[in-house]
Amino acid sequence: MEVREFRAGVRAWIDEVAEPLVPAIEDQSVEAQLNHQRRVQRLLFDAGWMRWGWPAHIGGLGGSPILRAVLGEELTSRALVHTTSWSMHEVLGPAVAEFGRPDLVEDIFPLLLRGEEFWCQGFSEPDAGSDLGSMRTTARPRSDGWVINGEKLWTSWAHHATRCVVLARTGAPGSRGISAFLVDMDTPGVTASPLETMAGVDEFCSTSFVDVEVPPQRLLGELDAGWRVAQFILSCERGPIFWQRGAWLAHHLGLLLDTARDQASASALGEAYQLLWAFRATSKSTQDRIAAGDLPGPEASVDKIMIAAADQAVFDVARDLLRGDMETDDTARSRAWRREWAYSRAATIYGGTSEIQKDIVASRLLGLPRSA
Amino acid sequence: MTEAHTIDAAERVLMAATLRGLAEELEGTELTRALDAFGFADLLAESPRDAVSTLFTALGRAGSMSTSLQDVLLQPLAEYLPMATTECNIVVPGIGADQVGATDGEPLAVRGLVIGARPAPTYLAPVAIRGELAWIGLREASGISTRRVGGLDPALAMTEITGGDVTADVIVAGERAAAAWAAVATAGRLALGYQILGAVGQMIDLAVDHARSRVQFGRPIGSFQAVRNRLADAHVAREGAAAALASAWDADDAFLAGLLAKSLAGRAARIAATQCQQVLAGIGFTAEHPFHRFLARALVLDSILGSATELPTAIGAHLISAGTIPRLVDL
Repeated sequence: MEVREFRAGVRAWIDEVAEPLVPAIEDQSVEAQLNHQRRVQRLLFDAGWMRWGWPAHIGGLGGSPILRAVLGEELTSRALVHTTSWSMHEVLGPAVAEFGRPDLVEDIFPLLLRGEEFWCQGFSEPDAGSDLGSMRTTARPRSDGWVINGEKLWTSWAHHATRCVVLARTGAPGSRGISAFLVDMDTPGVTASPLETMAGVDEFCSTSFVDVEVPPQRLLGELDAGWRVAQFILSCERGPIFWQRGAWLAHHLGLLLDTARDQASASALGEAYQLLWAFRATSKSTQDRIAAGDLPGPEASVDKIMIAAADQAVFDVARDLLRGDMETDDTARSRAWRREWAYSRAATIYGGTSEIQKDIVASRLLGLPRSA
Repeated sequence: MTEAHTIDAAERVLMAATLRGLAEELEGTELTRALDAFGFADLLAESPRDAVSTLFTALGRAGSMSTSLQDVLLQPLAEYLPMATTECNIVVPGIGADQVGATDGEPLAVRGLVIGARPAPTYLAPVAIRGELAWIGLREASGISTRRVGGLDPALAMTEITGGDVTADVIVAGERAAAAWAAVATAGRLALGYQILGAVGQMIDLAVDHARSRVQFGRPIGSFQAVRNRLADAHVAREGAAAALASAWDADDAFLAGLLAKSLAGRAARIAATQCQQVLAGIGFTAEHPFHRFLARALVLDSILGSATELPTAIGAHLISAGTIPRLVDL
């Protein structure tokens, strides 16, 4: 399947299906968002579009992963799905496909693609954010598998997820003694407690693991090689996810064009757009490298810094150009803007803070000496 | 901007090395002569992307200047102007101005800049006559005076052309003239964008070298996060501009892509100038250290054909009139 042909096919399909793809704006709850995505994913799966860019043995139809970026772009640039929840299968799917036991992956992957399952990411902990290597959640061996104990934080959609990729300590302190597991969320001892964001959305959770028994085949990759899985997942975020988030930002910037009243508005729109374009132009070469089979390296930290800056610039411009709507209006439209603006505040935090990214740029790309 | 000839990777490496060498060793008329002998004009005609990106990055890196910008500006005009354009210079609007001159009748006052002037004392300038764009021919007899600019960057061979009441020899006017100006401005913005990024690359390299070797409090200053973050910011700004320049050749709206690439290059110049100078501290403020040459070059070129403070307004206005956010390039 050629990229051009795929894009034309997706567009024609979107036009044909039309109404059922458009989310209702009144109910902006996480439940409504995820239910809508389930319906869209099912339609896309049945039409085949959801399966392109994934290997055939896990339920896909093959083809370049670029096709997934194109699908995400066509959906988010029309706001048919929400960019955050649309990222979920892209964050964890490639890693589980790569590191999971083949029979397990063959069983569960089609469920992920069809929207029957959502997965979540158990990385951060109360005392391990940027310093992920200091995590304290443990997985101790037992006669048949592992027992996990600990607490994870900022696990998005954990309360709606079927499975969770959990990083836990199986060996020595530091990043070398960590392993990755795929844990079913209905296992006894797993409790997901939603936390409300400043946007008033209960999107992420504090997730505790108390004597959670995990069978041996749920280890992802090798024992004590979970850091590799984590790095793989973080680099996957720089692929189709960034591309479709860029399209989501462009969609929102487009909504502001008819609010511009003067030269200052034009300048503010121009500034935000040029940051978005700098990101898109940079990300295009990252997408091309991923399609060629490369895993993004330290240079993808540049992409992350750029998209975070563009994200905040777009919604800062929105707050100015909407002239008070975000601060004082309570219509569904303004609530949606408020929610997006609030979410953009985290763009420089999630997925590795901008400070961590700059540190990587300084050491790995500029060759500066590491801090003592 | 189609490429008639595709240059393979080995040819590109060789070409880049040659142009870099020439730009580093020579300056002014000697460089111009060497570029003529190299066949830069043919390369520009055959493969503008390779020619422009390689030479102008090299000029920015070396801090040198030749008449090549005139070649780049004149090339798109051949399509629009009914005259031989090889023996003249293009006048670009003075800093902050949209055109070289504007009039609603008589008289026509002009003020503009020629960068990397050829020896020929004849000029082509875009002006607005009763709100309509026109290209006019100017020579000494037209009532203009020329001044070699010293300014912030005396090493940049720049000439100011002024005239209070000039005889306008209109060569082409109306839509064709406007299209020609859009093409010339776009070509110039890309070339200057590469040259700016060459200078930005030098500023970053000088600051990085300093941060690795300068020891304070018993550590290289490049190990302090405050210093690291400044240089990372400069690098990120540079990378964004470089990607915008590279993508501009494939964009479906070349004019908009030119505005964006130049604006981002100017933005990178400002960020690198600020951050790298702070990292270089005292030594970077001296005349003896080469830093100030690249700072001046990058900031002066930022101001030509629209600066990083002016262009976002033009970009925003373009988006508002289009009523959409263009993707410009697709996967």
